[in-house]
Parts: sequence; structure tokens; C-alpha cells
Amino acid sequence: MEGKNFLELKKIAVEFSGFQAVSDLDLDVAKGELRCLIGPNGAGKTTALDVICGKVKPKAGQITLNGQDITRLPEYRIARRGVGRKFQVPSFFRELSVRDNLEVAYCKRLGVFSNVVRFRRGAETDGLEKLAELVGLQDFLDQPAGFLSHGQTQWLEIALLLAQNSELILMDEPTAGMTSQETMHTAKIFNALKGRHTLVVVEHDMAFVREISDIITVMHQGKVLAEGRAADIQSDPQVMEAYLGSGGILHA
Amino acid sequence: MNSNRQAILRIIGYSIFCAAILAVPLFVDDAYLLNKFARYLVFGILSLALSLSWGYAGILNLGQAVSFGLGSYCMAMALKLRTIPIQTGAGGLPDFMVWNNVKTLPWFWQPFHSYTFAIFAGIAVPTVVAFLLGWFVFRARVNGVYIAIITLAMLVVINLVIIDQQSYTGGFNGITDLTTLTLFGIAFDAYSTATYYLAAITLSLCLFLGLAFVNSKTGLILQAIRDDETRVWYFGYDVAAYQNFIFCVSAAIAGFAGMLYTLVMEFASPTFLGVPISLSIVIWCAVGGRSSLVGSALGAIVVTGVQGSLSETPAFLDIWMLIMGALFIFVVLFLPNGIISLVDVIARSRARHSRDTAAEPIQAAKRSEAISRQSVSR
Repeated sequence: MEGKNFLELKKIAVEFSGFQAVSDLDLDVAKGELRCLIGPNGAGKTTALDVICGKVKPKAGQITLNGQDITRLPEYRIARRGVGRKFQVPSFFRELSVRDNLEVAYCKRLGVFSNVVRFRRGAETDGLEKLAELVGLQDFLDQPAGFLSHGQTQWLEIALLLAQNSELILMDEPTAGMTSQETMHTAKIFNALKGRHTLVVVEHDMAFVREISDIITVMHQGKVLAEGRAADIQSDPQVMEAYLGSGGILHA
Repeated sequence: MNSNRQAILRIIGYSIFCAAILAVPLFVDDAYLLNKFARYLVFGILSLALSLSWGYAGILNLGQAVSFGLGSYCMAMALKLRTIPIQTGAGGLPDFMVWNNVKTLPWFWQPFHSYTFAIFAGIAVPTVVAFLLGWFVFRARVNGVYIAIITLAMLVVINLVIIDQQSYTGGFNGITDLTTLTLFGIAFDAYSTATYYLAAITLSLCLFLGLAFVNSKTGLILQAIRDDETRVWYFGYDVAAYQNFIFCVSAAIAGFAGMLYTLVMEFASPTFLGVPISLSIVIWCAVGGRSSLVGSALGAIVVTGVQGSLSETPAFLDIWMLIMGALFIFVVLFLPNGIISLVDVIARSRARHSRDTAAEPIQAAKRSEAISRQSVSR
């Protein structure tokens, strides 16, 4: 492994039938860092996460995780290397209980046969109950996840990622639909994760971003526009111009 | 609420069902009836197999009868080779081969002189066929309705091949005039209690092993795949491997059911892997409750039982199909989770009744407490 960077994207280009969603994207994230990706709609933030977790394959460029090339791996192998992903649209298992959702996420062995003779309700579920408590779902453990409110499903998804315990966690708009109080609670959780996990967070809510971020990367039209601390970003004339159409960065 | 109590109740329910089917020969003396009931139980096993793949993993296999038919033929081939009056030609050839001018027993018939091999093959052949199909389908991430179309096409192809290869398979007639299977000194005559018990014990074993399986972690992950396949990939699971695994398990059970069916019917026929029976399995499963093993087995028994008794009653001779149709529509409209969901409906309404009277204020207080507890406890 060379250098300090845990996650490196080099000259990534993604094309959707002719449309250049991301081009020449470079991103370096250090181990234990929490990086925020912001930018106007269509800037390629979600696509950047998609490329890292293997949902979308880049047309050009290279992605390394811990010094190893993961560019061409299928998504489940990338996940096994320690990449967890929360999607923008809540995605979890509606017919399963909250507890079962967490148990699917929490798994040390992933093979078919090693799991045939493993039964649930083991000692390891204690940890899952603590996790549910952390996100305020302890009273809903045995309810089908489909019954949760939208805000609660956001919490569930965060809990799923914590259960999966990935080294690198990719979050796409984790606070969408949360009250400001809940958003601050999420910020606390994220700040606690820093250091042990590396996080890349796509977010629109600037108050939340200011609360959690070390370094912010601003994307615009598929490229990195600026990178730096919140204060520097907000005074950057280029960033201000990019945001003019959408109400300005200070809007939130 | 308390999943432990639910699990215990479920085991009790399954035990009652198994005890009931095992007790039938104590009350039924009629060999013809017993044979009919054994047939229903075999359908129950078949339906349970589909429930594993469709109800628990979301794989709608419209070609389930492929496994059933292949298992049936494996058993029939072994029994045919032991039939005494087959020697109408040289070298102990089955009669239909002689009629078709086959001079020597084909190589793939040879090993069926051994019962051990035949029983092994009755499970292994359907499993291998399922594995090969599953390999391509699941690796290519085919899902939903496309799996149904592919498996249905597979069924039609194999059915045609078997009918077409008359000199090796008996064609339209199938394999008939079979001897009685005798294992460990027990003769499994179609009309004997032994055959009934064989079917009943197999169904009971499948129910309990299946129940253990769906409660294992693999079972849980399959249910997660049913709910949201894409999400499971991102947890690092090889979803295709899980899907193919349950596809093969389902095929193996259906293959075994096919062998039993040959014993019960005393022949093997290309209709066993026909489209009608394959679609019937889906109906049984849906009527009984596809995400319940005992429900799907019950569905097969109820539907085929009602079908059998209606079509044999002179009064209903003309309208029994209408009655069956009405039954399906009723279940689909009012019990989308099948007959077995009646148990849940009753249990829930009773639970609600008792909760309404006592616990509602406590629940509400608990909920508001949960919402106000916003601090991170670490």
C-alpha cells in the first residue's frame, strides 16, 4: 500500500449511453476520514458512490481500496472487501422483522453451506439489540420492517450498515426526511464512527455537513470543483457560481 | 412480540399435521382410498418443494414438474428392468424397446439394474439438471417473471424429448407394467399401507427438515433475497449461489416425490412432466399458502382431494371445474396468503381482543418514551 489514502479514485469516467455522468474524477480519502460529497443536482455524486461500490462500472479509470484494485470486481466481492452502501431510496427487507433485517446485515461467514447449519437466536443477537437501541428501534425489533415510518427506515438503514460493520461506509443522503432533531442525532452517530470507519457521505443538508465533515468535496458536472473545509468551500467563488441556479450553498 | 412462543406454536402445529397424516391408515381400511390419499401426500411433498423456492426465495419455477418427472422415470426404469415378463426379446429388454426394434439395452439404462443407483439417480438427475439451468439463469441475474418463462420452456422441451425418444422412454405411453419395489424385505405395493406410510413419513421429514432449514441463516438470507435481491448483493452475499442452492434443494425433493409417485401410480408417464401438472403445483402452493411449508402441502392435499371427490360424485360431474374455479378465486381474493393464513387471522384477532382491553395505554407510553430517547448511549 502506497501513501496515506485508503480509497483512491483515479481519472474515473462513467457514461450512460452517451451521457458523461462523471469524467476525470479523482478522489482520495484517508483511513478514518469522513468525507462529504456535495454539489448541485446531476453533479455525479450518487454515480461516484455507485462506481465505488460496484453498482456501475466505469468506462475508464481505476479505483483502489487499501492499495488493491477493485475497479472490475462484482459488487458482492467489493462488499466483502469491506464496503457498505446505503442507497438514496430506502432499501431493506419489508417482510422481515427489524431483527431479521439486522441479522442479514450482520454476518461473518457469507457462504451458502456454512449458513445452513447456523440457527438464529444465538448469543450474537445481543449486539444487534444494542444496535437497535442506538438508533431508537429497540421497541420495533419483532415488527416487520415494512411497518416502519419513513424516518425510521432511514434509521434502520444506518443500523444495517453498522451491523455489516464495513471499513468503508458509503451513505447517500442519510438524513433525507428526518427532522432537524433526528438529523443532529445522526450527526452524533457519524462523529462517533469517524476514526474506526471511513465514510463517504453524499448530503444536501449543509447544517449536517458542517456538523460532521472534515473535508468537503464539491462536485459539479461530473468533476471535482473544489475541496476543502466548510469555511473555505463557502467562500470559493467557483462554488458560489455553480450553486447560483439552485439557491446557493448557504441556503440550508 | 415473542418469536419464541410463535416458534413453539408452529412446531406444535406441524406435529399435529404429521400425526394426523400418519394416523390415517388406522381409520381407513379401503386399499383404494389409501392409495388415493398417498397420491395426495405425494402432491403435498411436491407443493412443499415449490414453496421452498417460490414462497421463501421468490423463484417462481413453472418447470417444477421436470424434477418430478425425472425422478418418476428413474424409479420406473429400475422397476421395469426387474419385471419378470419383460423378456419378450433377447437380453431382458423392456417390451417397448422390443417393439421399437432396439437390440441391446442402452448404456444409460444399464445402471438401473441396481435399486441403490436408481434411488440415487432419482434425486441426483433432477438436481444436476436444476443446477445447470440455475447456473446460467442466476449468474446472468435473470429474475422475476423471466425465470418463470425459462423454466416453463425447459419443461416443454424435456417433455417433447421424452415423448420423441420412444424407443428409450416408451414415448407417449411412458413406462408401464412395473414390478413392485421391495426394499429391506418390505414390498411397496401401490395399495399397501407400507406405501402410504412411506409417503407420509417422507412428507413429515420434509416438513420438519424444511422448517429447520427456513429458520437457519441461509433460510433467512433467502427470504431477504425474495424481498430485495439487489440489496443482498451489497451485503457481500453471492445471491446467485443462494438462489441456485434452493433451486437444487427444491428439485431434489421434487425428484424424490416423483419416485414415490411411480410407486403409487405403478407407471411413469410424460404427463408427469406436463404443463398441466406443473401449473397445478403453483395453484396448490398459492391456495395453501406459499410462504408456509405446511400450508403449501395442505393446499395440495385439499385441492386434489376436493377435485378428486367432486369429479367422482355424479351430482357434480358437470360442474366440478366451476366449483374449483370459484374456490381459487375466493382464496386469491380473500386469503392472498393462502388457507394457512386463516390460522394467523384467528390468532391475531384474538390477540388484538385481549390487548385492546389491557395493554394499549402501556404501548403508547412506551412508544413516546422511545421517541424522546435521543441521546447516543456509548
